[in-house]
Amino acid sequence: MEAPPVTMMPVTGGTINMMEYLLQGSVLDHSLESLIHRLRGLCDNMEPETFLDHEMVFLLKGQQASPFVLRARRSMDRTGAPWHLRYLGQPEMGDKNRHALVRNCVDIATSENLTDFLMEMGFRMDHEFVAKGHLFRKGIMKIVVYKIFRILVPGNTDSTEALSLSYLVELSVVAPAGQDMVSDDMRNFAEQLKPLVHLEKIDPKRLM
Amino acid sequence: MGVTCVSQMPVAEGKSVQQTVELLTRKLEMLGAEKQGTFCVDCETYHTAASTLGSQGQAGKLMYVMHNSEHPLSCFALFENGPCLIADTNFDVLMVKLKGFFQSAKASKIETRGTRYQYCDFLVKVGTVTMGPSARGISVEVEYGPCVVASDCWSLLLEFLQSFLGSHTPGAPAVFANRHDAVYSPADTMVQYMELFNKIRKQQQVPVAGIR
Repeated sequence: MEAPPVTMMPVTGGTINMMEYLLQGSVLDHSLESLIHRLRGLCDNMEPETFLDHEMVFLLKGQQASPFVLRARRSMDRTGAPWHLRYLGQPEMGDKNRHALVRNCVDIATSENLTDFLMEMGFRMDHEFVAKGHLFRKGIMKIVVYKIFRILVPGNTDSTEALSLSYLVELSVVAPAGQDMVSDDMRNFAEQLKPLVHLEKIDPKRLM
Repeated sequence: MGVTCVSQMPVAEGKSVQQTVELLTRKLEMLGAEKQGTFCVDCETYHTAASTLGSQGQAGKLMYVMHNSEHPLSCFALFENGPCLIADTNFDVLMVKLKGFFQSAKASKIETRGTRYQYCDFLVKVGTVTMGPSARGISVEVEYGPCVVASDCWSLLLEFLQSFLGSHTPGAPAVFANRHDAVYSPADTMVQYMELFNKIRKQQQVPVAGIR
């Protein structure tokens, strides 16, 4: 069902296929402060930005073996912000020299009735969680350090419990297809965060 | 966006679609309306592919994906009698990815194109509705900018519509009935266009007045 590798597809209809380049790692709770401190020094100068988001993952099951996954995310602390719908494709395999995980991504801002609309389309919610953490930027790179909370009662975002005693750290860039030098810049930045955190390319399939 | 009424203008006796549009626009210009560029509203229809139907256990639904030149960075997706989603133009890219689950109904693209006229606080758009190469009808959209509550300005809109549509003035749109005191939104306009397009699709091909 998956389309051919996106880097080979022509640009159609005036839109360019965007790819997400990703490196991930984690730190234990007690190391958070030192990591935030170093990030504040390395990243662009801006007001420390925190976020509290609620993400729901929807699946559309067809006759194909793998269901279509869409992620709907809303901000719980910023009123009036649009909902964020995200599609992430399969990671592109191949180039062992590529330092980051690369996958096709489509980001769409939507109105608040997104969940009702997705249900009408036939999607069903698979799972949901709350993400709370900090956001940093360096040029086109985005660094998020956040904690995932499990929602105990479906739909009730007030009763949550932390999933682990650590924070997930993600370094990502969304860029047009074919710009592989981006992953070199990401690797160089990741080097500067060692030994506080080791950011690496993690293949999600290997974890399952 | 102000309260908007979208209606269909029947083609005049013995005249073509093009000629009726010209009659209307001439009337508007005599009223004193100023031409202000062009507009386009288009609609594509998708239906759930057979492969997904079995697992859902429900009849295939029709989903409409529409664009309005008045809101160039947005995309409207709606189900009949269902929710209307307002998203940015990347939604079209997502529909391409969903090709396996939602198929575009063949030759279903319908659009209306025409001129925008500004008359004081009213914005009037007269468009030719086309499906492929053939003109199928005429759409008339009137927006009263200053007001966003339908029940507050419907009588004023009606009076204005009568001044240039005469006997072809429509009744109050169905969307007004549902949300009397609620703030009018662009999604309501798109629902009206969807209903208009569906009506035109079902109509017979507009007889072309004798090409002499």
